[in-house]
Amino acid sequence: MNTTSDRYEDESGQVPPSDDVRAGEYVLGVLDADARRQAQARVLNDPTFARLVEAWEERFSPWLLQLEAIAPSPQVWPRIRTQLGWAPVESAKPGLWNSVGFWRGASALAAAAAVAAIAIGLRGPVTPTAPPPVVVQTQPAGDESAARPVTVLARDDGSTGWIASIDVARGKVAMVPVPTPAEASGLVHELWVIPQGQAPISLGFVSNEKAHTIDVPAAVRRALGVGATLAITLERQAGMPHAAPTGPVVAKGGIQQI
Amino acid sequence: MIGSSAVLDRDELAEQIGAWLTQVGQGDRQAFDALYRATSGALLGVCMRVLADRGDAEEVLQDVYVTVWGKAAQFDRQRARGMTWLTTIARNRAIDRLRASPASALRADFDIVETLSDPAPSPASQAESAKERVRLDDCLQELEPRGQILIRTAFFSGQTYEELASRSGSPLGSVKSWIRRGLLQLRACLER
Repeated sequence: MNTTSDRYEDESGQVPPSDDVRAGEYVLGVLDADARRQAQARVLNDPTFARLVEAWEERFSPWLLQLEAIAPSPQVWPRIRTQLGWAPVESAKPGLWNSVGFWRGASALAAAAAVAAIAIGLRGPVTPTAPPPVVVQTQPAGDESAARPVTVLARDDGSTGWIASIDVARGKVAMVPVPTPAEASGLVHELWVIPQGQAPISLGFVSNEKAHTIDVPAAVRRALGVGATLAITLERQAGMPHAAPTGPVVAKGGIQQI
Repeated sequence: MIGSSAVLDRDELAEQIGAWLTQVGQGDRQAFDALYRATSGALLGVCMRVLADRGDAEEVLQDVYVTVWGKAAQFDRQRARGMTWLTTIARNRAIDRLRASPASALRADFDIVETLSDPAPSPASQAESAKERVRLDDCLQELEPRGQILIRTAFFSGQTYEELASRSGSPLGSVKSWIRRGLLQLRACLER
């Protein structure tokens, strides 16, 4: 037996592993309850050891991030709120789902939740189909990262079809649909920006079931301004983006704020 | 061509999760709500990988978010990535729960052989993280087969050295030695 393996043969613990290996064992999850508690105590009291643990957590994190998501039962969130001493549910106002104010505050989170569901691999519908219990608070003004102004694209009956969040600087439009079944006609949705008094310019395909971002070419970005209208029509998949709309307008909304 | 569409990529998502965590650290309940909606599925997936029972896993999940509310102020966007930070808390809590249970009754049933053919990549995993995962998997491939199997099994099942030894029918000392050697080789490979 060579010296290298000697060093790690420690059935009875004569040769304790190095701190780095110990940290790796802790992160790997092989330590029994006692050894695990000791390692956790060291993480709290020994910054050097804590850094070793962090490095191992980082090394193994790709395996954690690949696991399939499983949607928690609806009662978990109210329980968390209760445990924090909050009301279990802060109920949504009637009509909230179609309220621009709600979406202004909620768009970033709804979009990101939808997107997270896609990115993390949650099965099933990716956008909220019914209002889950939400915490509704007035969005503080000027809090950019929480809420970028949104444009609601309403259907003829007044219901919300899509929420658009425009990032002019980066040339991106995030589109979050309130999911609907695919069109039986086989037609798909196409997004248009219509600058005031001008012809519609296609921004290409937009999904009716998944949140996604649309990259806007530099030449078209200036069209995305306050006063312009976003509209969605039903069009043939072929030839998209089209030069001009031919199908019926499914939903539209004016850009009031960017 | 005018307008091409793409699902928001992982980087944007990671950025958003980091932003929420920072806001949660400042006591922002709305950000907490958003964070829960965006990440609870992934974290329950992590808990249920270790704990067999959904009820137990959801209790741990509850505990995880209560912890996140309390600890988010310690989250440092410059040093850590949001999802790594969150999933690590979830995994640690799930393993703590496993260790606290008598005779590991809560453990997800886990077959060591099965791990070998674990269909690792989930189709939704994207860009940056996928690259890192490929690297981790590639480095694992460089270990001797026993080390590979043991490290994967250990990580995904949360079993102790003793449990791994008894399940694999190998002496405890050998199991420790394979895993420790494997860890060092893994680190060396990842740091290359």
